[in-house]
Amino acid sequence: MLHYDFMQRAFCAGGIIALIASALGVYLLLRRQALMADMLSHVSLAGVAAGTYFRINPSITGFLVAIIGAIAVEYVRKAYKTYSELSVAIIMVGGLSVSVILMTMNKTINKSFSSYLFGSVVAVNKLELVIMMTAALIAGLFLFLLRKPLYILSFDEESARSSGIPVQWISLGFSIITGMIVAAAMPIVGVLLVSSLIILPAALSVRIAPSFASAILVSMGIGLTGTFTGLTVSYELSTPPGGTIAFILLLFLVTGISVKKMLAFGSKNTNTKQMSVRSVAPQRVTDIE
Amino acid sequence: MLLASLQDVTFGYGDAPCLERANIEVHSGEFIAVTGPNGASKSTLLKLALQLLTPWQGKVTLSQANSEGNKLLVAYVPQQIAAFNSGFPSQVTEFVRSGLYAQSGNWLRKLNSQAKKAADEAMQSMGIWELRNRRIGELSGGQKQRICIARALAMSPDLFVLDEPTTGMDKESRMSFYRLMRDQIDKLGKTVVIVTHNLTEMNDMLDRIITLERREEGGWKCCTTTSCSGHFAPVESLH
Repeated sequence: MLHYDFMQRAFCAGGIIALIASALGVYLLLRRQALMADMLSHVSLAGVAAGTYFRINPSITGFLVAIIGAIAVEYVRKAYKTYSELSVAIIMVGGLSVSVILMTMNKTINKSFSSYLFGSVVAVNKLELVIMMTAALIAGLFLFLLRKPLYILSFDEESARSSGIPVQWISLGFSIITGMIVAAAMPIVGVLLVSSLIILPAALSVRIAPSFASAILVSMGIGLTGTFTGLTVSYELSTPPGGTIAFILLLFLVTGISVKKMLAFGSKNTNTKQMSVRSVAPQRVTDIE
Repeated sequence: MLLASLQDVTFGYGDAPCLERANIEVHSGEFIAVTGPNGASKSTLLKLALQLLTPWQGKVTLSQANSEGNKLLVAYVPQQIAAFNSGFPSQVTEFVRSGLYAQSGNWLRKLNSQAKKAADEAMQSMGIWELRNRRIGELSGGQKQRICIARALAMSPDLFVLDEPTTGMDKESRMSFYRLMRDQIDKLGKTVVIVTHNLTEMNDMLDRIITLERREEGGWKCCTTTSCSGHFAPVESLH
């Protein structure tokens, strides 16, 4: 399988994006912006449609429009502070409507669209690999260097602002990074499933990880394992890679939560039988240092 | 030294103002309680003072520097913040140490042993040392409140702004918390502004009470008492 060039590229691109997208997902989830990835993928689709219509490389236009969408959502979010998810819906409607209009205007582009909608291993070309690696490098640096203010900001924006953290700038930077990662992940999992790569590993890790630092690492591990497993299954069974990766990640989530519940149920029963006070087991202190 | 002030501040969330012509001053070394009935805009008053909200009218001043000329450090604990983030995947120690990240230079460098000791002491002061390895989500409401206060203590701010911080705490914990805040003022020169409904419990430790009272025309106004020894002093209107 790995002797094919396109599979090597797919594993390389998939691995890089899985690591960054899964880490990003933890922050998105905690900031109650879980649907932002989904929204940006639809906005990015408008960029792809525009690029195809105006005969510019659609990967580049999709990438740029996703970043513009990410900036726009920050401003709309301010207008609807109480209902922050409304900003996501508004921008998503904008992105989808523009995509549909542009697709209808140019009927020849519908075929190439399926690779953007559902993702394709073959769709990852060298330019997209370079874009992905650049986006991942910038996002990785951003998330690593600003991990401490991002932690405070994810817990509560108001207390972060009052303690002197430049919330506005970090939030804007975070949105731009999200736009970049979403656009870069599109060729792998497609527009419709891009949020699965960002949200599903994070959704499981925040339930099982003992600390914030480990939540990030566990999420990255789940994302990477899910992507590699998905790509392998997709190759062996000739199934679409995007859908396969998303399905594997969903299986991980369901299995992980079920196992956790069973363990919690077992431990509850044991405690009830023993009727003893549980002492705190000494653990290693982990933090985002 | 004047740390924060509101001058003739009017603010509202919809069309009608909820707070009108509010005037308050917060000086360093004061222990101030903000009180009033539910919906009296107590939290709004704090947010205005911290410049988290922009007033419709009037002027808000928040000092940029403390009495030593360094950047003014503010620790704000919003109302029931821990309850709203009950699923936050963090260990207690990790969370309390995050209070130190706001201090200058701690973004990029690792926390030194002195900073970690400050976080440990904050946890011990709030009686949560034995919870240090637990996840936030596993704690009770009162314990969650205490870890939020411990984070504020670890930060060692010049100004504590605490919005109903004792919610969910038992009486013994509340009394111990009030004494701790008084010590922060008397021994370390800190300033504390606290929203509370338990005035009778902490009355003899306070320097001043700001009471929000309903205006006859609607909305709320700020009234204040100057001294708080013994019993709840009668409210003297500023308007």
